[in-house]
Amino acid sequence: MEIYLPVAEQSMNVFVLLGLGAAAGLLAGMFGVGGGFLATPLLIFVGIPPAVAVASQANQVVANSVSSLQVQWRRGNVDFRMGLVLLVGGLLGSGAGVWLFTYLKRIGQIDFVIAVLYVSLLSTIGVLMLYESLTTYVRRRRNPEKPRGKLHTHFLVHRLPFKLRFYKSKLYISALLPIALGFIIGVLSAILGVGGGFVLVPAMIYLLGMPTAVVIGTSNFQILFVAANVTFLQATTNGTVDVVLALLLILGGVVGAPIGSRLAARLPGVVLRGLMSIMVLTVAAELLFELLRMPSAIYSLGGRELIP
Amino acid sequence: MRIALGIYRGLAPLLAAAFLSAPALAQGTRVEPPVSLPAAPLPNSPPRSGVAPQFDSILPPSIPGDAAVPDLVVDLSQPRVSITSAFQGENILLFGMFDPPGDIVVVVAGPSSRETVLRKERVLGLWLNTGRQAFDNVPAYYAVAASQPLSRLLARGGGGEILSLEDRMALVKSVGQREHNELIRFRLGLVEVNRRDGLYPAAIGQVTIQANRLFRVDLPFPSKLPEGVYEVRTYLLRDGRIVAAVSRPLPVGKVGFNAQLAGWAAHDGPLYGLAAILLAVSVGWLGGAVMRRF
Repeated sequence: MEIYLPVAEQSMNVFVLLGLGAAAGLLAGMFGVGGGFLATPLLIFVGIPPAVAVASQANQVVANSVSSLQVQWRRGNVDFRMGLVLLVGGLLGSGAGVWLFTYLKRIGQIDFVIAVLYVSLLSTIGVLMLYESLTTYVRRRRNPEKPRGKLHTHFLVHRLPFKLRFYKSKLYISALLPIALGFIIGVLSAILGVGGGFVLVPAMIYLLGMPTAVVIGTSNFQILFVAANVTFLQATTNGTVDVVLALLLILGGVVGAPIGSRLAARLPGVVLRGLMSIMVLTVAAELLFELLRMPSAIYSLGGRELIP
Repeated sequence: MRIALGIYRGLAPLLAAAFLSAPALAQGTRVEPPVSLPAAPLPNSPPRSGVAPQFDSILPPSIPGDAAVPDLVVDLSQPRVSITSAFQGENILLFGMFDPPGDIVVVVAGPSSRETVLRKERVLGLWLNTGRQAFDNVPAYYAVAASQPLSRLLARGGGGEILSLEDRMALVKSVGQREHNELIRFRLGLVEVNRRDGLYPAAIGQVTIQANRLFRVDLPFPSKLPEGVYEVRTYLLRDGRIVAAVSRPLPVGKVGFNAQLAGWAAHDGPLYGLAAILLAVSVGWLGGAVMRRF
């Protein structure tokens, strides 16, 4: 069944879009990330213009994070103070990101930048996660009792000015770091149409040293507002948010997410992270291959404009 | 939907025959060659601004007092291409009747505008969009169909304003300076992309002629179709000369829900953005609440 997407200006199979949304939801449920990093490249792959794919995907991330935040909020897993500090950076970053997006689109390099950012980000994170889950797995095999040390390691972060206490996260760190982190996530969110969870979650654990329990809820909190900001700015400056497309992805995601979380409950965390790292690396390799391979179409159109 | 369309297609020739027998449908304007032709918008005349229709030949049907039956009568199976939510491209049947002998050529052109062509080049092993070239007066859609191979018809000389795709693309104006061969390559790239998207259909069905006076041709429109007023021109050729020409506007546009949404997104971005967020939040909330029960 085909449906015409009014902003993307082309027809698409409804079930392909629902399926994409479900896949993104499955990932969201399983790994606590938005799944946007998988859905956006796939949307572009099936022929949606990158500008529309990114902007509509941001709208889908809004819905996704509302659903997950609902659960996390009830369990009290949201550090609002940390979320708000991250959000300051996030809002600034998404504003800058949308501006950058508009500029890159004008000079015709947006597709390339999207692809390169995805490849570098996904491969870095994929390798880190794979390494982490493998070493954990091996270590658990060798000596099951985990040695207890410090809550987290102290380094440069703890020596910067503007220190703030984050009670829920049991942290006393400079506010500059979460703001910078939020800023980077905001830029990524605007350019790639992702929530940024796949960057934010590891960064919160390894860089800020937040306890894992509050990480997902807090990142969801920040992502919700950043994605909403990106949706708004994209709709205002580029007019590229396709609500029909977004709604189909959202509906797919609503079905996919609980299936994902049920699957996740049956698998141990190490296996889960290992699986996710393999998937992330596969997507990265595919995108890299696309960049290196002789393209099937050398020419493309930069868009029509009425004669000034 | 498909079935209904199929039935319709099957019926179309019958309908055409039924319609054509009615004298009221005499919409064709008799054109005395070559004197009365200049009134029509020629493709090589200065570019028209925007898409404002200037279809001089859409005059009221020939006056009953005019004793002569027009040489050429043309109609379309639909007066416009409506982009609805179920739109996935469409074939429109053009049919009509002419005074034999002769050949029929149909030219369909979308609105013209500026188009930028990007070219990927290899930089440090990566394929980047490094080349770009803008062209003015690029038709959004261009298709030519004829009852005989166009090359044969035009080779006989007096094709006049009938332009093959190659001829039409030669009228496209490049913006800025560039080496001649490079320009040609970019222009070929432009044709290649539009051909791939079905906007410059290469093998549009030949015009078929029945009983020496009825003709029909299917005009294919892809799903990725730019909006605007298209122009469908039908020519009757005798001995390689244009004897009669009929022009019909074919508006292409989104209708209903699609038109409203797209218009909203284009003209009222902030409100549209807020509505999109609100929709996402409520569906996300509801979905989360409902699915947790399962």
